[in-house]
Amino acid sequence: MLRKRQGAVYPLSVRALYRFLKSVRLAVVVILLLTGLSLLSTLVPQGREAAWYLQTYGPALGALILALDFDHYFSSVLFVAPAFILALNLGVCTVDRLARRLHAKAEKRFGPDLVHVALLVLIAGAVATGLGRQEKFFSLSEGEQLPVNSHYTIKLLSFEYQKYQNGMPKAWISTVEVRKDGILQAASVPIRVNHPLRLGGLSLYQASWDNRSTFLFRDQSGAQAVARVGDAFRDGDTLWYLTDTTGVGAGLAAVLQQYRGTKLVSERKLAVSESLGQYTLAGITPRMATVLQAVNDPGFVVVVVAVVLLAVGLALTFVQGRAARTGGGPPPSTR
Amino acid sequence: MAQAFATAALALIAAAAVVQIVFLIAGRPMDPASGWGLLAASVLLLAVTVSRSVIIGFPAVTNTYESLVFFSAAVCAMTFVVRLAARTQVMSFISLGLTVFALALLMISSSPLAPRDIQPPIPALQSIWLVLHVTVSFIGEAFFALGLVSAIIFLASRTTERREAADRIMYTSIAVGYPIFTVGALIFGSVWAEVAWGKWWSWDPKETWALVTWLVYTAYLHTRLIRRLHGRASAVLAIVGFAFTAFTFFGVNFLLSSLHGYG
Repeated sequence: MLRKRQGAVYPLSVRALYRFLKSVRLAVVVILLLTGLSLLSTLVPQGREAAWYLQTYGPALGALILALDFDHYFSSVLFVAPAFILALNLGVCTVDRLARRLHAKAEKRFGPDLVHVALLVLIAGAVATGLGRQEKFFSLSEGEQLPVNSHYTIKLLSFEYQKYQNGMPKAWISTVEVRKDGILQAASVPIRVNHPLRLGGLSLYQASWDNRSTFLFRDQSGAQAVARVGDAFRDGDTLWYLTDTTGVGAGLAAVLQQYRGTKLVSERKLAVSESLGQYTLAGITPRMATVLQAVNDPGFVVVVVAVVLLAVGLALTFVQGRAARTGGGPPPSTR
Repeated sequence: MAQAFATAALALIAAAAVVQIVFLIAGRPMDPASGWGLLAASVLLLAVTVSRSVIIGFPAVTNTYESLVFFSAAVCAMTFVVRLAARTQVMSFISLGLTVFALALLMISSSPLAPRDIQPPIPALQSIWLVLHVTVSFIGEAFFALGLVSAIIFLASRTTERREAADRIMYTSIAVGYPIFTVGALIFGSVWAEVAWGKWWSWDPKETWALVTWLVYTAYLHTRLIRRLHGRASAVLAIVGFAFTAFTFFGVNFLLSSLHGYG
């Protein structure tokens, strides 16, 4: 059976499917479904080991969470399928709205249309990001260099860890030299948190830092041993972990944590020439390393375009809506 | 100094609430003094933000206390403006509702739930995008608070005239707050996340709840504009929307583990 609509002829089933896909009712139902499941997902910690869910929630509920992939909800069918339907609904609605605009009978308010188009572009960008985003963390000490992709190489010139007076971190600054295919591009560029370095499609972020200092210990017999941050040694029934270095007066000290079994008993600072049990700290060679994060996101430009479109669309909606309200037009709710 | 400003603002808002209650009980028209008292309170609360900003050398909107102070200032300023826009009896009730709301925010800020320690920002928080994210989001949420109060007045009203007036204010406030919230919470928040951590979106509980809040208000506007949903159902949806807004701020901060633990 065929029905005629606006000069075109469509099979009834196609027309029904079109009306179903553009319906607000479908949008509201899918939004409610996504809302409920997404909120539920915030109550279930994501990305843990399978055993954790079985142990925490019991065998029945834990198995259900795992069977439904609710341990990684936002990449599961439970999320992707309704999100896909919502994107389809949004796409059909956008096309329908634009088609009606072109028939010139609808009012000329393009703000909401632009918002809908921006959301579609945003979804496209999110898909590109989801499928193609790559990230890598790497650690560099001063003087070390690393190829970050097939063209660019960076060399760490310096790493600075600034602290406030109360000891809280103020800034981590990695100053790097950038070369492209061996040719110097920038002699000295700082990378800080919130100030990434963009190299073509690659972005470098200041992610963390690493203490690579070494500690020279001597025992009572005069034997020497070198330890690093993260190493531990036993002293009777306790275990001492080297966790960090810290300033003491004009010099440096090792920070150690004392454990009995798995219980943290105390923390102490050990300056050079001080002893701990049978060991004496003979020297510290400080060495800090920066941890940088390299991200290659093929959806980056698309998302930027979507964000700009969304901002413009919202501004246009706001301005046009305000003009309609102050211009004595009909109340928005009757449009 | 900042604490003195906050205490003075609290006293002004409480006084404005009392005066408004007295005028409503006496059946008299809206009093002129409360609006100016609320404007003064808003200025004092912004002075709290400025004085803390001077101390830490960065806009002080980086923890729960500072967020509450800014949110309360935004609600007070908005109440002053809407009182100027209309001096009807419905507006008297809405003004009182917003005044009580601002007072509640300040009282929470005075509780142990929101420590007042002045802390400089850690590296991740040192971003203009964070400042825009927080301030613009709360301005949008101030409009949602107006929508909430109007929805409650709508449900509590018995006359058609009062209901229509409350309904109009409810719709307008959400229609204005929605784009502001979208830009502040979702766009500026995403841009900050990308610049700080290289990811636009991490499905952190705060982000998920903010998105759900946005979806609820999206549903409100669509059911209203396209499905012609009016009256009680629309008012209930506006209240549900604000319940999500409140949980996104308070619930996630205090009950769920989130990247947004600092505010």
